[in-house]
Amino acid sequence: MLTAEVKPASTGTKRTLKVKRYKPSEDPKNTYLTDEKGLWAWMTTVDHKKIGLMYLGSVTFFFLVGGILALLLRTELLTPAKTFIEADTYNQFFTLHGAIMVFFVLIPSIPAALGNFVLPMQLGAKDVAFPRLNLASFYIYVIGAIFTFIALANNGLDTGWTFYTPYSTQSSSSVIWVTIGVFILGFSSILTGTNFIATIHKLRAPGITWGKLPLNLWALYATSIIQVLATPVLAITVLLLTMERALGIGIFDPALGGDPVLFQHFFWFYSHPAVYIMAVPAFGIISEVITTFSKKHIFGYWAIALSSLAIAFIGFLVWGHHMFTSGQSAVATTVFSFLTFLVGIPTGIKVLNWVATLYKGSIEMKTPMIYVFSFLFIFSIGGFTGIMLGTLSADIHLHDTYYVVAHFHYVMMGGTLISFLAGLHYWWPKMTGKMYNEFQAKVGAALIFIGFNTTFLPQFIMGSQGMPRRYYNYIDQFTIFHQTSTIGSYILGVGFLLIAYYLAKSLISGEKAGSNPWGSRGLEWQTTSPPDFHNFDHTPVVINGPYDYHRPMEEFQLGLANEDKDH
Amino acid sequence: MSTHNHEHHISTAGQLWAVGTTLFILTIITVVVAKFVAIPPPFDVVTAISIALIKAFLVAAFFMNLYWDVKFNAMLLIMAVIFFLLMISITLLDTMYRNDVVPSF
Amino acid sequence: MANHSTSHPTHVHHHFVDSDQQFDTAKLGMWVFLVNEILFFGGLFCAYIIYRAWYPELFQMAALELNTFWGAVNTVVLIGSSLTVAMAIRSAQKDQMKGLKINLLITIGLALVFMVIKGFEYAHKFELGIFPGEYYTYEGIDHPQAAIFFSIYYMLTGVHAVHVLIGIGLIYWIYLRAKKGEFSSEYYTPVEITGLYWHLVDLIWIFLFPLLYLIE
Repeated sequence: MLTAEVKPASTGTKRTLKVKRYKPSEDPKNTYLTDEKGLWAWMTTVDHKKIGLMYLGSVTFFFLVGGILALLLRTELLTPAKTFIEADTYNQFFTLHGAIMVFFVLIPSIPAALGNFVLPMQLGAKDVAFPRLNLASFYIYVIGAIFTFIALANNGLDTGWTFYTPYSTQSSSSVIWVTIGVFILGFSSILTGTNFIATIHKLRAPGITWGKLPLNLWALYATSIIQVLATPVLAITVLLLTMERALGIGIFDPALGGDPVLFQHFFWFYSHPAVYIMAVPAFGIISEVITTFSKKHIFGYWAIALSSLAIAFIGFLVWGHHMFTSGQSAVATTVFSFLTFLVGIPTGIKVLNWVATLYKGSIEMKTPMIYVFSFLFIFSIGGFTGIMLGTLSADIHLHDTYYVVAHFHYVMMGGTLISFLAGLHYWWPKMTGKMYNEFQAKVGAALIFIGFNTTFLPQFIMGSQGMPRRYYNYIDQFTIFHQTSTIGSYILGVGFLLIAYYLAKSLISGEKAGSNPWGSRGLEWQTTSPPDFHNFDHTPVVINGPYDYHRPMEEFQLGLANEDKDH
Repeated sequence: MSTHNHEHHISTAGQLWAVGTTLFILTIITVVVAKFVAIPPPFDVVTAISIALIKAFLVAAFFMNLYWDVKFNAMLLIMAVIFFLLMISITLLDTMYRNDVVPSF
Repeated sequence: MANHSTSHPTHVHHHFVDSDQQFDTAKLGMWVFLVNEILFFGGLFCAYIIYRAWYPELFQMAALELNTFWGAVNTVVLIGSSLTVAMAIRSAQKDQMKGLKINLLITIGLALVFMVIKGFEYAHKFELGIFPGEYYTYEGIDHPQAAIFFSIYYMLTGVHAVHVLIGIGLIYWIYLRAKKGEFSSEYYTPVEITGLYWHLVDLIWIFLFPLLYLIE
């Protein structure tokens, strides 16, 4: 009989537990997909895995809508004058592209879609702390989306996704429908964050101390903190905007003694931390994938873990860097510029630690790893250009130009989205029990990388030469940049279509995946693919860290020997 | 296995009434001070908020049981207050140091 | 595939080890939610602070229109309701189901008193023409930004009142479940976490009252 000495999460004193090895079956008969069948079962499920998949489907749908809008925008920008749509339509398209991508794709994508699936499994738990609340979060997200689409059906939205006053209080577009939609959607984010914090604190399997938590969970924990602290401020901001439109309150209206810059303060107090809601989970995935495909312990575990928390905290102090040219006081702009430099440091620490992890690792260039390398290249550029924008003097010139557009696409798309693709390809076998075609996947990754850089690299140059953002027409000197960028966007489109194709095909005719096709030491890989309804058929006991590749696989498959006595 | 076994603290009725009564008295004090004691601004706000903070502490510690609860929950409350203070102080760095109070056009 | 023992009490959900873990997790979850509520109201308090710093004389003039006496009464009413909800939790902890139900009903009663007083306050203001935003028509305050003070007043007290209404609904639901015998000293988690929410509603008012009503 094996025994393990563990320090359980709650009491902190070492105990000895009787354990035995539970080797996962390579041919599971009952999985979470077969245990509950039919549309009603899915719509009323409280299983975190199915909820995660429902989010995944929704996020994919919204990404398609937002992506088509992007292609339409880029097509219009092929020529300096009108190409095929009117200016007002153009305004609606870039507003909706931004709002859909930020609120309905990027914010929920990694935490709600992938995080929901993986988090309890990485903790060895049966579900999240509040499964019914989890389902409610999903439906709140759907209702928020419905309100936004009602707006589309009415007068649309042309304020830019940032809804700045005074235009947003005066525009004849359907601002209120969207602000209500965003208000509702915010609760989905808040409740998911609450759920994750409670789960990570209270539902860890025996042996998972804070020092043995996978870095993906440190990242989701930091993200959840941001979601809970920042999203309510967005909620009150859109509520105030709604009231300003409906009742003419006037706190943002200069004609009534109000202050439009105040709106920007409130808006960015949420929206800057929001970009860390998008970026920090991406960092978590990178840590998981880079260790698995280097077969090596992460370099600087605590540095990466604590830097997630540092980013979460400092991220709350820098929002004014979106407002350098808005009329903010000189005192505030200087303080914000300085703090913005600080926030780059923990991220830099992460990137350096990841690269150091590769050193003397046994690198396997599977598709998730290719996305990781794309991420390292693209996100670094995005991060550096963020620091450049944070430099007060430079930003006066670069604010509201394509330099900003390129920067945030580099971090949000090159960062969050590429990491999302890495995670999707990494956990796809676990979620579906199927493998996708590796060659097609690699081609897809290459198309994404080439397409992305072709689209956005010229935008840095344009921006620094003065091309303003959100402009429908432009002067001749920028034509070549815009056209290159548009071609890049078409390459991106093809890449995404290819990804959708081979992933869908894998569901029908993909090779069966084993429990652990990548040889990872992660806890989620020590059960069947697809997993059991309750994730594990035993209570896992963890004695090693999640990246201890020098320990044999058997040590990661331990569970309580005697289930009835020790639950 | 149960994760821990701390007893859920049960206040006596007397204790709860004592806290309640203190809160009532503090309410009366804060009204009387505001209406009948001349304090120059900004100290009038400081006084009122200080009394409110004492009341809030009593509610949080003895009605919401934070005094006997796991320290983590109290830390959550403190963290929320800290972030709120950060929000207002940094925003005031802008609004209090402008040349024009409100951008006029 | 069930791997938990059959000695689980029915109120313990399958993903929890025992009652204690479930209770502690529920409390943690509710405290995290309260953090979110504090930041939600925080935004409104932030707007208040900024405008009071910009227009201190406006706030002094406009606050005269607020009735300090009824504001104080409402404060006492809400503190009383916090007391009764704490007593309700105590009753549940001591298996006193009758005490639990009575205290919950008194809490709801006090909350309704609060809403009624608020209703009279609003009605009185509407009579004078003090409406939010562009509908403001009162001539009695000689300051161009008078409407803004009242807009902030209506937002703060209005959002607070919505939270009171939600609280009344929640406490009434808990009362119905108590009537059905769902609670005992072994399991009173929903009572506890609803109580926490209600105390927060009280906490917000403890700060609203001096900031709005006690400006002299």
